[in-house]
Amino acid sequence: METRSKLHELKLAMQPTMRELRFTISRIRSSPLSIVGAAIVILFIVIALAAPWLAPPGHLSQGGNPYMIPKYGIKATPQPPGTTVAGYYARFGTTAWQYDIYYGCIWGASSAFRVGIFVVVPSLLIGLLMGIIAGYYGGYLDEFLMRFTDIIIAFPSLILCMAFIVVLVPIGVGRLDAVMLAFVLVGWPTYARLIRGEVLRIKNEDYIEAAKSIGCSDFRVIIRHILPNSVYPVVIMASLDIGTIVLGVAALTFIGLGAPEGWADWGQLIAYSRNFIYGRPDNPYGYWYTFVIPGVFISFFTLGWNLLGDAFRDILDPTIRRK
Amino acid sequence: MYISDPRELQDLPNLIREHGLDQPVYIQYFRWLKQVIVDRNFGIDRYNQPVFDAIMSRLPATIELTLFSFPLIVLVGIVFGTTAAVHKDKVFDHMTRLLSIMGTALPSFWLGIVLLSVFFAGLGWFPPQRWSPEVNLYVSNPGSSWKWYTQLITIDGLLNGRPDITLDGLRHLVLPVAVLTLLNIALIMRVMRSSMLEALSKDYITAAKAKGLTKKEVINKHARKNALVPVITLSGLLVAGLLTGVVITETVFDLKGIGAYAAASAAVPDIPVILAYALLSGFIFVISNLIVDVYYAYLDPRIRLE
Amino acid sequence: MAKDILNIEDLVLRFYTYEGIVEALDKVNLSVKEGETLGVVGETGCGKTVTGYSTLVLVPPPGRIEGGHILFDKEGEKVDLLKQRESLLRSIRGKDISMIFQDPRSALNPIFTVREQIAEVILHHRRSELIEKVLRGSLTGLERRIYPEMLKHPRSLTHRILSRVPVVNRYKRKLRDVVTEEVVKLLKEMRIPDPDRVAEMYPHELSGGMAQRVVIAMALACNPKLLIADEPTTNLDVTIQLQILNLLRELKRRFGSTIEYITHDLGVIAEMCDRVAVMYAGNVVEVAGVAEIFKNPLHPYTKALLESIPRPGRPFKSIEGTVPSLINPPKGCRFHERCQHAMEICTREKPSLKEIEKEHYVHCHLY
Repeated sequence: METRSKLHELKLAMQPTMRELRFTISRIRSSPLSIVGAAIVILFIVIALAAPWLAPPGHLSQGGNPYMIPKYGIKATPQPPGTTVAGYYARFGTTAWQYDIYYGCIWGASSAFRVGIFVVVPSLLIGLLMGIIAGYYGGYLDEFLMRFTDIIIAFPSLILCMAFIVVLVPIGVGRLDAVMLAFVLVGWPTYARLIRGEVLRIKNEDYIEAAKSIGCSDFRVIIRHILPNSVYPVVIMASLDIGTIVLGVAALTFIGLGAPEGWADWGQLIAYSRNFIYGRPDNPYGYWYTFVIPGVFISFFTLGWNLLGDAFRDILDPTIRRK
Repeated sequence: MYISDPRELQDLPNLIREHGLDQPVYIQYFRWLKQVIVDRNFGIDRYNQPVFDAIMSRLPATIELTLFSFPLIVLVGIVFGTTAAVHKDKVFDHMTRLLSIMGTALPSFWLGIVLLSVFFAGLGWFPPQRWSPEVNLYVSNPGSSWKWYTQLITIDGLLNGRPDITLDGLRHLVLPVAVLTLLNIALIMRVMRSSMLEALSKDYITAAKAKGLTKKEVINKHARKNALVPVITLSGLLVAGLLTGVVITETVFDLKGIGAYAAASAAVPDIPVILAYALLSGFIFVISNLIVDVYYAYLDPRIRLE
Repeated sequence: MAKDILNIEDLVLRFYTYEGIVEALDKVNLSVKEGETLGVVGETGCGKTVTGYSTLVLVPPPGRIEGGHILFDKEGEKVDLLKQRESLLRSIRGKDISMIFQDPRSALNPIFTVREQIAEVILHHRRSELIEKVLRGSLTGLERRIYPEMLKHPRSLTHRILSRVPVVNRYKRKLRDVVTEEVVKLLKEMRIPDPDRVAEMYPHELSGGMAQRVVIAMALACNPKLLIADEPTTNLDVTIQLQILNLLRELKRRFGSTIEYITHDLGVIAEMCDRVAVMYAGNVVEVAGVAEIFKNPLHPYTKALLESIPRPGRPFKSIEGTVPSLINPPKGCRFHERCQHAMEICTREKPSLKEIEKEHYVHCHLY
């Protein structure tokens, strides 16, 4: 008898949560674009995780970096998909200097996730920390943070990134790592600002007063009440950001400032196609595969994350939830 | 960067002392600042060209690009955004959403490459760079009757009485402007749309309808002005971003603008150029923010009193 | 016997939301006689506000009017507003029927001055009258040619082009001055002090009471036959409330306007209205003269409402139960779940309107 009534109590208590959950799921289902976005992202996750099997880095003898694309020969002109180069069947063809496009694309997914996660997560955490502290405690701390983030945000990000790269590379930081660090340093202020805004809004709500009046410590108030209610724009921003960061790194790589030579990065692959985008005199589209294929990969990756971010916004933003 | 002749390397210690590179950083900074403000001397770049001239000679390309892209982006963005809001959830709304999704997902350099491949290599319509070789010959020939008035090929073509040159310049601008427009329109459309939706849900819109005004009047007069505020902020950032040079687009289309120059300088690194560029960017951003603030005050009387 | 200027017959209104279809108005019947002040009273959510919006055919989506007639007396002829074209409705809104809103400061557009907003409605409906006024004044040559054309062809192309030309468009000033005169006159009648200065102010610079007077001015600018007042004093301080009520009473005396006064405050009803309609959950349950309804309430809801008014010395009495959700409204009479006199028939059948005493109608199976 006891357990039955306890179970019943639990069911009653969970009812509003269950209702919200069901509502959320119905909203997910009602937006086909969000399903598409999720599907694309999951597909890329699978590709990235399965990279060692899809494109075995057998070309490396013990140790070595699987992110380096194998070269099959030294010819300057790219070979179309399906040709066999130096005994290797190049599924997607090769770029200039015979880098395998297939390998580059597959491991490019893995590289993209690596870059995306290692940039967005630290940015987010730093921003979260700074934003919550500044928003909650206010005063001089808040003022200082605002001015500081103002300066960073006002500058065009590309220039700041370049500045950071200029400073970091000479002291021995690897170029790709320098780029990633630069993006983190340029990116966290946006998250800080975002969360600070939410904290300020929530700080004045009645339930915070109520919590404090029953003796909750600051820490508890922040973790249990402020954080869950303020985190949704950050989640939205983060998923949009992953796409943007990967695009940014690819762009930098394209102009020579990002990943090093031969690195499996989609931007790098496209960079190799620069001299061949006009094709041959007899066939202007002759080397399409050198930039179309990696481009498709990168576009879909970003597209997937953007759709997901949009979906999160439609689902989580309380002002939009209830039509 | 201060060394033009490899032989001078032997004299390195003296060189360092001469240029003050052995001083602490902040002293170097002040020396540079003084040099910039008093002498208007930004130093010499890696090609031994005065930085000031180097930047000035590359500025027109960027300005011309901005001149043609910015109005297009802002106008189309605003119009599409308002229409999407007014016809929410109908076909147009979905199409603009699609457009903005494409705009944010496509890498700018990739789009540029694909467009070049199709429209230049394939169809031969819109070439890269700023002008054709024939025009270049004519324009850079000191003996010809060409005069540079504004350094902008499109305007100067008309001023020189050579509309064909203007047309040529426009042809070369089509693709880069297309790329910039597609990429930047996305954000403006989305912000305009959500801002418009918010404005349309306000009480004064119902009150305006109750006065008997037509739907068009209500939208254009009452809602739109209120909705423009966030878009103005974005436009300010946009124009500043465009003026400080769009590195990728300039690189792909081989437009010798300040963006490509700065990026190339960062790779070396060419310090005097980077410093000068940072100063220029800061300046551009401050000016554009100022203009945005002034426009705010004009739009929203509540701000004027503050 | 005063005639009716508004007859709402069997009005049905539904809101299509995610959670279900809300049966907001269930065959509502209401009449407003010329010259009277009809009070529409009820709890929040009973449908009184949305009835007001329906009269102007301005129901916001996801609401949809799905049945009934709204007959308005336009120049002696009864027109069904629900069957009219948008252009006719637009000519009626603001001119024949106008509305005063609940929150004055949000009903005014924050980026336009008071003058601009009142001028907007004046110009929209009384344009020709004002242009003729301009023509009677002294004009320059250019103006003498443009204004008659503006009169004949309201959307004349010349005017549209010329009005945008910088120096030439000074001719607009004359019209602007005439309109400003009207605006200031209107503000004076609203008992607003220093009307010239107030006209140039922005909504956020106005106090609540002042803003509401401006909204009233806007509503009365074109001398409407019917004024719908949607809880105009709910958001104001009690002292300001009194001022606004006095103003409305005075305006009614001077202009003879017919007012449909929507509120949940019985005290205001007692002060302002000639007749009262009581609404509950999307139905009109009782209609009677104001004195009659306080003296002799017939419907159980009205009785309970009057009893629940707090009075010193008496215990606090409230109505049992809560307002039912209108997504799945109770069958039969919607009040039956909370009614002390509920009978078996109340759960099945909706009562029809019966005239129990002279001009006293009730929807109830008790009678």
